[in-house]
Amino acid sequence: MTEVARRNDLRARIALNLRAMVGRAYPRVIGANREPSWIIFEAFLPLLGIAAYVFIYQALGERALANATDPAKVAEIQANTNALIASVVLGGTMVAFWLNVLWSMASQLYWEKEIGNLQLYMMAPMSRMALLGGMALGGMFMTSVRAVSTLAAGVLVFGVVYRIVDPLTLLAVFFVTLIALYGMGMMFASLYLLWGREAWHLSALMEEPIFFASGFYFPIGGLTRVPVWGSAVAIAGSFIPAGLGLDAMRQLALGPTAFGGQMWLFSVDVELAILLVLAVVFLVLARYALAYLEVLAKREGKLTSRHQ
Amino acid sequence: MSTYWRTFKVAAWLGWEMDSNWTEPWLFVLYSILKPVAGAFILVLMYVVFATIGNTEDPSMFAYMYVGNAFFIFVASTLFGTFQVIQSDREWYQTIRYVYISPISYYVYILGRAASKVAVATFAVVVTLAFGIAFLGVEMGLSLADVPVLVAAFVLGIAVLLAIGICLGGISFLTAKHVHGLAEGIPGLFYVFCGVLFPLSALPEWGRSVGQAIPLTYWFDLTRRILVPGTSIDRTLNAYDDLTILLLLFASSLVFFALSVIIFRIGEYVARKAGKIDMTTSY
Amino acid sequence: MGDRIPAGGTTRCDMPFAVETRDLTRIFAGKKRIRRKRHASEGEDGSGPVTALDHVAMEIHDGELFGLLGPNGAGKTTLIKILATLLLPTSGEAYVAGHDVAKDPFPIRQQINMVCGGETSGYGLLTTRENIWMFSQFYGVPSKVSKARIDELMHVFGLWDKRDTKVRMLSTGQRQKMNMIRGFVTDPSILFLDEPTLGLDVNAARVIRDYVMNWVRKRTGKTVLLTTHYMMEADEMCDRIAIIDRGKILACDTPANLKRMIRHDTTFRLEVDTLHDVTSFGSIRGVKNFSHREDIATNRAHLTFILEDESPVAEILSRITTQASKVHSLQKSEPTLEDVFISMVGRGLE
Repeated sequence: MTEVARRNDLRARIALNLRAMVGRAYPRVIGANREPSWIIFEAFLPLLGIAAYVFIYQALGERALANATDPAKVAEIQANTNALIASVVLGGTMVAFWLNVLWSMASQLYWEKEIGNLQLYMMAPMSRMALLGGMALGGMFMTSVRAVSTLAAGVLVFGVVYRIVDPLTLLAVFFVTLIALYGMGMMFASLYLLWGREAWHLSALMEEPIFFASGFYFPIGGLTRVPVWGSAVAIAGSFIPAGLGLDAMRQLALGPTAFGGQMWLFSVDVELAILLVLAVVFLVLARYALAYLEVLAKREGKLTSRHQ
Repeated sequence: MSTYWRTFKVAAWLGWEMDSNWTEPWLFVLYSILKPVAGAFILVLMYVVFATIGNTEDPSMFAYMYVGNAFFIFVASTLFGTFQVIQSDREWYQTIRYVYISPISYYVYILGRAASKVAVATFAVVVTLAFGIAFLGVEMGLSLADVPVLVAAFVLGIAVLLAIGICLGGISFLTAKHVHGLAEGIPGLFYVFCGVLFPLSALPEWGRSVGQAIPLTYWFDLTRRILVPGTSIDRTLNAYDDLTILLLLFASSLVFFALSVIIFRIGEYVARKAGKIDMTTSY
Repeated sequence: MGDRIPAGGTTRCDMPFAVETRDLTRIFAGKKRIRRKRHASEGEDGSGPVTALDHVAMEIHDGELFGLLGPNGAGKTTLIKILATLLLPTSGEAYVAGHDVAKDPFPIRQQINMVCGGETSGYGLLTTRENIWMFSQFYGVPSKVSKARIDELMHVFGLWDKRDTKVRMLSTGQRQKMNMIRGFVTDPSILFLDEPTLGLDVNAARVIRDYVMNWVRKRTGKTVLLTTHYMMEADEMCDRIAIIDRGKILACDTPANLKRMIRHDTTFRLEVDTLHDVTSFGSIRGVKNFSHREDIATNRAHLTFILEDESPVAEILSRITTQASKVHSLQKSEPTLEDVFISMVGRGLE
């Protein structure tokens, strides 16, 4: 192939994949507009579950305050309660993205198979990464609304106070975490090409156990306080990028001295570096896993067989 | 009667197959335990973190949360098991039109489909409670004299959950595919207002009023009174004795049941009118 | 097509065929069954491996409208799936536009599209136009080009007044027309049509057939592989037809030549009362093959006999009357493709 042909080839491939991304994102954006019921079901109602966790810390804080008389102790309990509630709110924000990765990306290919679209996608010349990228992009609107509502409810309804000193690093951590999370979602999506209902159940299984292991509702460092198995779970949980990302974001949003500085897993720099590595690794793995498992699914005839 | 029973049996069989036959039995059992136990562990860790930071232990509060959370497994599973029948039959298996037009009671069909979820939830609740007693120092006690009240409360609790599930099914007829939003959001409503994880007194006045209008609040309170009598940290319902609470549970359940049937019928009627009974809405 | 990407990879440049298969075999392993194995002797699930395609060798020329005619379960869809890069062969080779389907799917995907009868593609929340546009984006067709083609095709297929209707509100026929437009909008060189008129009314099926025939014949370099079990459709539309049954290609030629294969034979069609025993007809001297179909609604049986000559007719009638069955009609007819099929496998296409 000549240099010109190669450049044309590359340009055409980029154009194809960009169009495919926009094409797949479109139904999600349009769907969100045409069926506004999602605002209640996907954005408002889930806030209640997060509110329950907030109330737990409030209740624990109030009961601790009832027994405290020393003003310094009272201030400490109030600060800790605020920091814990802030941790829940941040966790709730990331839950939105994690659930989007699980249900609207990873298991989406399985869903597409069920409704008869997957074979048409797999027959098209676009990259599978572009297809998944389009799903992520389209779903981002709904997910962001939920995430922003959670943050806003935290500040406005529960009076959470954040002390953000380094907003740029916070943003960097957030976006790297998202890239790593969606990379992981793409990797899972490849598995789901091969699976039937197992895929759906795997996604269901990656809710509560991951909320627990990755410290969505408490600082992940708390796990290291549990003897014997706590640290092992924390390490395992930090392979889900949300775990490390949340730990770093909590440090950046609450200050490293929150909780007496004893609940963090690693420093922000270390966590950001690990997240960067995870982002690259997951994206590369996703690329190869998608290609490999597509071949496997084609060999076993599972790309088009519904209701497995 | 035999038609109802046959419908229930077939629907329960179908629900069980859908829930369980995707994998090996041991993996299904593990899956059924892992999810709720992990949910309980989130609370354990929340408590551990609070106790570690503040250097304050609060075993009564912990037992309150733990038992409430264990029984909440029923709420999440039963509600999901009921309303998802509409959405999964409509969008996923696309069989709703054939079931809907068959000469059976659709209510009984939905209840049958939810039965396996209730059964699995019962197993998970028992495992979670046993784990709490064995490893987390949750102290529980049950006197034989209280068993009839506990059983009556349990039956009413499950019945009201099924009623709420049917009501959500009626709403599902009209909405797009929001299985996960509903599965997460509606239980969240009860999580907040029914004194599941924290005392009602932690809620503002209006929140307490909402809570007292929901039968599940009485179910949780009564169950906790009987199973963990030492943890009466919530004083909101202290003025009532066990039987009065049971009566309140019964009365509010009746209201909820009537409401759920009405809402389901309205949803069904509007869906038929708008041609939405067998629509597919995924995007 | 919009941005056609230069092809590369594994090609067979010496090959003039749009599609070529050699010894193509596809075996589906018995599905693994969980928990309910009743008898140890059943194997994994009581059903052993299924050979869907058995050493299929076939060549489709560029610009040809090629038909695959066979009953349900003959292997037609499996073959289409392999050619459309959705399924890998167990053994053998398949080339589409000169590229190996197993090793080099990307350049194939740039040149093909597929439409299946009764498919439910797309999203119910999108309008017809939006849905087709979305699929065109997966092939890199620029939006402007795509929208112009969609509008044009919607007029052709009589779907213009449904352009802004949500997909979930379309009737079966309208949905299938939308699927056809989805297949044509990317302007493929090779189009796979898998039972495209399945379940459609006469008018809708006619619109689709006419468009497909014109598309192939009036434009250069367009190839269609059509699978169907409607013999009239195959006869009317196809330049050449392969008859496939149980994964094997039994014959491949033009419709006229296929019918000529049995021109020395005589075809008789009979409508009789339901019969108790039909197996004995095969043993009558001069009966090359026959098919038998019961019509439950009328309580009658339809028999088609392929005979060497007319001499066995008397014996056939005698055997029918000995079963106390009444003959309602007896007709000698011109051979059809279905008769060709009957003469080869001993049963009809339905």
